[in-house]
Amino acid sequence: MKLLMLALRTLRREWHLPELRTLAASLVLAVASLGVVATLAARIERGMLASAAELIGGDIGIAAPQAVPATFATAARQRGLAITRTASFPSVAFAQQKSQLLDVEAVDSQYPLRGALELGDAAGRIYRGRAPTPGEVYLDHRALVALQLKVGQRLQLGGRELTIGAELRRQPDGGELLALAPRALMSLADATRAGLLGVGSRARHRLLLAGPPGAVQNWRQWVRQITLPQGAELVTPEQTRQRMRSAFDRAGAFLRLTALLSALLAGVAIALAAQRYARRKRLEVALLRALGSSRKRVAGLLLGTLGALALPAVAVGVLVALGLAQLAWLFAGPLFGDLPTGLPLVPSLAAAATGLAVLAGFALPPLVRLLDVPPVAVFRQSVARRIRRFDALYLFPVLVALGLIWGQSNSLRLAGMLAASLAGVALLAALLAGSLLWLARRMAPGAHPALRLGLAALARRRSLSVIQATALSLGLCALLLLAVVAPALLQGWRQELPADTPNWFAINLQEGQRAGFGQAVGGIGGEHLNMLPLAVGKLTAINDQPIDRIHFSNPRTKDSADRQLRLSWSATLPAANQVIAGSWAGAHPDHAEVSIDTVWRDRFDLKLGDRLRFRVGERSIDARISSIRKVDWSSFRVNFFLLLDPAHAADLPHTWLASFYLPRGHAQALASLSRDYTNLSLIDVDALLDRVREIVDRVGSAVRWILGFSLLAGALVLAAALASSAAERRHEAALLRTLGARRAQLRAAAACEFAFLGLVAGLTAALGAAAAGVWLGRAVFHLNGFVPPLEPLLLATFICAVTIMLLGLAGTRQVTRTSPMRLLREG
Amino acid sequence: MNDSSRPLLQACDVSKSVSGPEGRLDILCKINLQIQSGESFAIVGASGSGKTTLLGLLAGLDTPDSGSIRLQDHALEQLDEEARADLRRNLVGFVFQSFHLLPALTAEENVMLPLELEGSPDARQRARVALQAVGLDARRKHYPAQLSGGEQQRVAIARAFVHRPQVLFADEPTGNLDQRTGHHICDLLFALNHDHQTTLVLVTHDTALAARCDRGIELEEGHLLTSGNDPSA
Repeated sequence: MKLLMLALRTLRREWHLPELRTLAASLVLAVASLGVVATLAARIERGMLASAAELIGGDIGIAAPQAVPATFATAARQRGLAITRTASFPSVAFAQQKSQLLDVEAVDSQYPLRGALELGDAAGRIYRGRAPTPGEVYLDHRALVALQLKVGQRLQLGGRELTIGAELRRQPDGGELLALAPRALMSLADATRAGLLGVGSRARHRLLLAGPPGAVQNWRQWVRQITLPQGAELVTPEQTRQRMRSAFDRAGAFLRLTALLSALLAGVAIALAAQRYARRKRLEVALLRALGSSRKRVAGLLLGTLGALALPAVAVGVLVALGLAQLAWLFAGPLFGDLPTGLPLVPSLAAAATGLAVLAGFALPPLVRLLDVPPVAVFRQSVARRIRRFDALYLFPVLVALGLIWGQSNSLRLAGMLAASLAGVALLAALLAGSLLWLARRMAPGAHPALRLGLAALARRRSLSVIQATALSLGLCALLLLAVVAPALLQGWRQELPADTPNWFAINLQEGQRAGFGQAVGGIGGEHLNMLPLAVGKLTAINDQPIDRIHFSNPRTKDSADRQLRLSWSATLPAANQVIAGSWAGAHPDHAEVSIDTVWRDRFDLKLGDRLRFRVGERSIDARISSIRKVDWSSFRVNFFLLLDPAHAADLPHTWLASFYLPRGHAQALASLSRDYTNLSLIDVDALLDRVREIVDRVGSAVRWILGFSLLAGALVLAAALASSAAERRHEAALLRTLGARRAQLRAAAACEFAFLGLVAGLTAALGAAAAGVWLGRAVFHLNGFVPPLEPLLLATFICAVTIMLLGLAGTRQVTRTSPMRLLREG
Repeated sequence: MNDSSRPLLQACDVSKSVSGPEGRLDILCKINLQIQSGESFAIVGASGSGKTTLLGLLAGLDTPDSGSIRLQDHALEQLDEEARADLRRNLVGFVFQSFHLLPALTAEENVMLPLELEGSPDARQRARVALQAVGLDARRKHYPAQLSGGEQQRVAIARAFVHRPQVLFADEPTGNLDQRTGHHICDLLFALNHDHQTTLVLVTHDTALAARCDRGIELEEGHLLTSGNDPSA
């Protein structure tokens, strides 16, 4: 108790010290950045998972590529369960010279079984409504804006004129997270009459059920005993929850790691501040030891002081995290739909624990070293400076950092990659700073005195300079990658697509419609029309071994084996495909042959000569693998994992898939096409790309402010470094003032020093972001010639240099005012 | 000793006090002195007698609360900090007890500092000459940490003389050195003072060192105790 009181008194006396304030600020920042991200993530996740039943729109269901057979509905009714049928598919709506691809959900009158349908009327009033009646359609806000329509007006969908009955505000099964296209809800009867759900359509049918848990369980057991129709699967809340969790885990990992970067940078600031504090405390510890304090008591005092500082700082960090999470929810919440849920507290508390781990990892080593200061150091301070016994302790922060990275990424591989990237940027910053310093010092004799003095100041604190440059570079690099390189990559990707890249797809074209459709497309100005057959089937055996008897250890492989497959055939090798093994089958091989792409080769561990058996409808086909292709999936052309030879595949039941290029502005002409071919699903690739870009922009702006934490942490490192070198700087300033330096000269030297530091940090960040951009361009976007946007990167480097110069000048303002008398008083 | 009708440095009724927890504390009380150009002048006194404060005031590092200090023709108390910095750069050199060399600069670069501050185009050349004068030309590329205490002080003396100051202020220049090295440093200081016709103002505890000066004063608790030709008396 006495010790605690002494620790509190010590803290009260020492609170004015800049290093203690930096330490507290760093801790607040670390907890706040980790806490806000974790709270937001948990909030979205919890909101979505808590309403999994609402998310599927019922207690259980079956999804299938064709209408679910009536026996399933009959069995449900017999068990007293309520049922509803839905079908979802993409389709283009037309209205007043506008066209828009929509994610359409067609529902019957019983919809929804769980959750509520929230609608808005023409006056903007929100109410709970029922499923749309025939002739009626509900559009979400994005669809209304895109088509420039209002509630009460009419549009054409699937060749039918429909009236917009309401604005779709919220529906139970609210579709994919960040759905690509705007949404529409229409009557199932209308969709059926329009031929949108015909054989071979892309519609996904669902039968949803709801009722007492016992009845649901009973129906579920009944389903287990019978064979599900081809391609059908059970839809359960648990399954949905699992899928969402894994999708969310991946998205959340990036944000969590970004927040961790801020926390680790804050850790660097903590380490610098703790080191300065330890240096200051050396004599005091020596004195306490000389006066009879045991090492244990000194350790207790130091830990007590640190704890008394840390606990309020962590509490403030938690409050800041919760406040910011609430604010961010107002901004980012609508991106994820309206998910009603309270503010979770556990993630912030976990962030507080992580913050304390960062503090322990980064602050304890220099403080523990203090315990080795001998009492004799009161006479000879040099003895205190020579203590090196605890140097191994400096591995502690590294271990803590690696542990936290591992913990946050949930993946050893990701943790390794991140740790390697951090080390890479740090090494680059260190090399660049070292080389530029060396070069500048070589050129210094002829340089301006202010520059010489500034460079000398950097050289004097070489390791501190490198730490500062590295910390600032890391924060800036993450920001540049997201704000400059990513949009440029997307832009470059889109521009790389050849001019004749199809921008419209038509799915579900029947054999008899091919000729007429070709003429119609030519008539409205469509070019480069290409049609490929499309058969939907299932893999039934590999090398005569039935697929259900093969054990796949990888769940993704198992999933692929169970899924429906899209098969096509062609006499010629399609564009954006390259044969890397075997030879292209050609039009008339003796036996059925199949060409697989590298993804399938790797997934099923296949090789040339292996035999695959497919079932398409009632037909079965055995084909030998004659070639392996590398497919450019980013080409926006129609591509297939599996291509059969036309001679043996042509009589499989199939529809046709057409792709063509239609110049922008001609989309209205497609309205007539849509009327004439009501069974067709039209997909606007341009609109999809625009939506992708919009999502990247919106997510980017939501994430950018989180990256701002990294920059803030970088600035804190700068502040900590300034605090740690303040005494040395004041001494230098006093000497220069004594020798007759004007304040302006000192300011110019400081400006040169920090501008140089900013330049190194900016250059490293720009180089790091550019290198990452080139790598991403090559590995992810297949843009071999991608040149990162140099002008914005150089501009960012310049802004970084100027900002850090201004921050540095602000931080050293007091130093330039140091009285020269200080030198005489120091002796 | 140089005969001159007007003193180079003159203090009239100079007083300085500081505020402390127990009220105002007088550091210097009505100090009067005159130092002629080219002479060597010692300020002696016990610790806390105010000699370092007086040195700071005479060198224009600080201003008195009352009284007047004239360096050449400039009334220091009427100049602002920037003007006094200009004056120091042009007229004044310093030698400190703790040398105060910048550790990241070589000996030559340390000596160049005052020249660089005044924008001298031949700073390096002049620094080399100054280092030759103190016998350290061969070690001009060494950093302070690579030099002994005596060598560091010689670099500091070279830095003090390099821009040909009119007056050199030395604060306990042998305080951190052993007796023999200190003796050599004093010889050097007085020799250079003589060669350059510089005025030397020396603060010291060392009565033998004070005795080598032309004149001096002794301070006790901020008051002038003795003044005359023999400061060690």
